[in-house]
Amino acid sequence: MTLESISVIKLHDLLLVTVPADPDDETVSALQDRVLEAMAQFEAKGLVLDISTVQTLDSFFARTVAETVQMVALMGGRTVLAGMRASVAVTAAQLGLTVGNALTALDVDRALDLLNAAPSGVRRV
Amino acid sequence: MKEQMTATSESPAVVLGSEDSFRLLVESVKDYAIVMLDTGGHVVSWNAGAERFKGYHAEEIIGKHFSCFYPADSVQRGLPEQELKAAARDGRFEDEGWRVRKDGKQFWANVIISALRDKDGTLRGFSKVTRDLTERKQAEERIKQQSREIMELSTPVMQVWQGVVVAPLIGSLDSNRTQQFMERLLGRIVETNSPVALVDIMGVPTIDTQTAQHLIETISAVRLLGAQVVLTGVRPAIAQTLVHLGIDLSGIMTRSSLSAGLQVALDILNLSVVCKNGSH
Repeated sequence: MTLESISVIKLHDLLLVTVPADPDDETVSALQDRVLEAMAQFEAKGLVLDISTVQTLDSFFARTVAETVQMVALMGGRTVLAGMRASVAVTAAQLGLTVGNALTALDVDRALDLLNAAPSGVRRV
Repeated sequence: MKEQMTATSESPAVVLGSEDSFRLLVESVKDYAIVMLDTGGHVVSWNAGAERFKGYHAEEIIGKHFSCFYPADSVQRGLPEQELKAAARDGRFEDEGWRVRKDGKQFWANVIISALRDKDGTLRGFSKVTRDLTERKQAEERIKQQSREIMELSTPVMQVWQGVVVAPLIGSLDSNRTQQFMERLLGRIVETNSPVALVDIMGVPTIDTQTAQHLIETISAVRLLGAQVVLTGVRPAIAQTLVHLGIDLSGIMTRSSLSAGLQVALDILNLSVVCKNGSH
């Protein structure tokens, strides 16, 4: 898994990234770099991380996501984690893993709605 | 040898009055298998109960080693010898486990092996009393299965509106049940694509710190998923307990009734209930 396999899609003023199914530490770090580059390049106001294919959530991944959320916020964007699997959420809650200030949504549709809605709709984890 | 002879003449059978009548008593017991073993574990005496449970006639089994009552894997692990050793050491050994009949069928047995010592403390052999508890074992299995089924039944998650699921919790929440409840709730939220889940705790008798912790865990899992939980059915007694225990649920939306919770859910979904004539 390398940098090339991660695609950051620009949708109007939002960015959409699909996280690969079984991301290793290197991929997760690369993903952060790519996202931040794209944030700078497109001046995006929001980021949707589609994690619907992710099967396991480890502490490194959770921490990197939490950091990315903070970094994106510093660059003026809001982040939504979309489509976490039920089994992943159960494990994460039991392990006490959190994803910082990331917003969450059931799927990408709802994530886009959330980002396009007024900031009053902000939900925190 | 002389000592042993003396001891025999003072055995309980003699005290009872007649050795024959004592033997008759033991041999005719049908509900317990009462077997005497020599110090090496070979069968010395056999009674009606033993014949009934194990299927051997006295003449086939006397002189054989008692390990033939055990399943092959237990014999391989040296269980029969261990049991005799334990009985010789402690005077008594009790165990429950699978034993084998002559026809190869297994039965669940309660076994008590006692060391038989004469007055001088010399080991003379062992008595082995066995009960057939297969029926009780089966009843226990049934109860276990039924409690699993009750657990399944007791955590329904229903969709009550497009985008709203309701999970009424009934009974106490232990970690086992929380796990199951969490999986079920999250599964249904994903299945029905519902952004709001109402968890009703009206049917939860009492809340302690552990139960609250389990609830908080469930709620954070739901949030990771991208949905929200409204905790409903917070009775006065529960509210008091939560405050007295110092459990902080301030980050969680709570309502006293399910209907109030449903109202919150509709607000979140930007929906409102309108009368047919147009007024709210």
